[in-house]
Amino acid sequence: MPKSKPPEKAQKSSGKARFKPGDRVRVKDLPNLFYSRTQIYVRGVVGTIAACTYQDIIPEDEAFNRDGRLEQYYIVRFRQKDLWPEYPFENDTLQTESPERWLEPANN
Amino acid sequence: MSARRDLRQQQELIGAIQPALHVSQNWNYAVDGALYKAYMHPPHDVGGQFDAPGVYEEKEEEQWELNTYVTCEVLGWRGVWNSEERRRRADNDLGYSLYLGIPYYGRWILAAARMLVDKNHISLAELIEKVAEVKSRHAKK
Repeated sequence: MPKSKPPEKAQKSSGKARFKPGDRVRVKDLPNLFYSRTQIYVRGVVGTIAACTYQDIIPEDEAFNRDGRLEQYYIVRFRQKDLWPEYPFENDTLQTESPERWLEPANN
Repeated sequence: MSARRDLRQQQELIGAIQPALHVSQNWNYAVDGALYKAYMHPPHDVGGQFDAPGVYEEKEEEQWELNTYVTCEVLGWRGVWNSEERRRRADNDLGYSLYLGIPYYGRWILAAARMLVDKNHISLAELIEKVAEVKSRHAKK
């Protein structure tokens, strides 16, 4: 029986950015399996797109040396009080970066 | 805010399963020879270790366990891995917490999934999204 070979490399594609600065987004709470760069403290929390940064390979592909497709990255801004209810200052924010697949539109 | 309370509970649970020598370990600056040797010990080499008394029950394999076994064997027949690699991944590479914490065939299926990602047969993002989809399908039942 022939040995099974890994599939061909994924196609590169550069779709249009799904979100724009000012959009409200919620970070998806996907299952943790083997590797993630999406902090658990931002998952399920609604933030605002602060900037569309660049397109790049996602961590889940790059960490396994997979030549994945390019995806839009965003800087997302959260209210500290939304992340940590006991946080004492109303106006403080935290920014973190995320690729598009981890974000969904927040209906608010 | 219940989601935040859930997060705190999850973080406490994560803390509770971190390996500890009854003193929590967190990025030690140095480990002595005996401790290093203990850390490097393969988790599956359990012969002679102390254990608390336990109740062992006779039970048949469940369907998911049989499915896992067959899946792993088929991956072997197709030359994607061999049984020693399966043992290395499922008995050793998962680390103590998973080795001791999850069911026997749970270790097999995690090892198979990790191997398929490592060897680029499936992408991790694809797998994570599929698991999320299946979870949500079951949640609706």
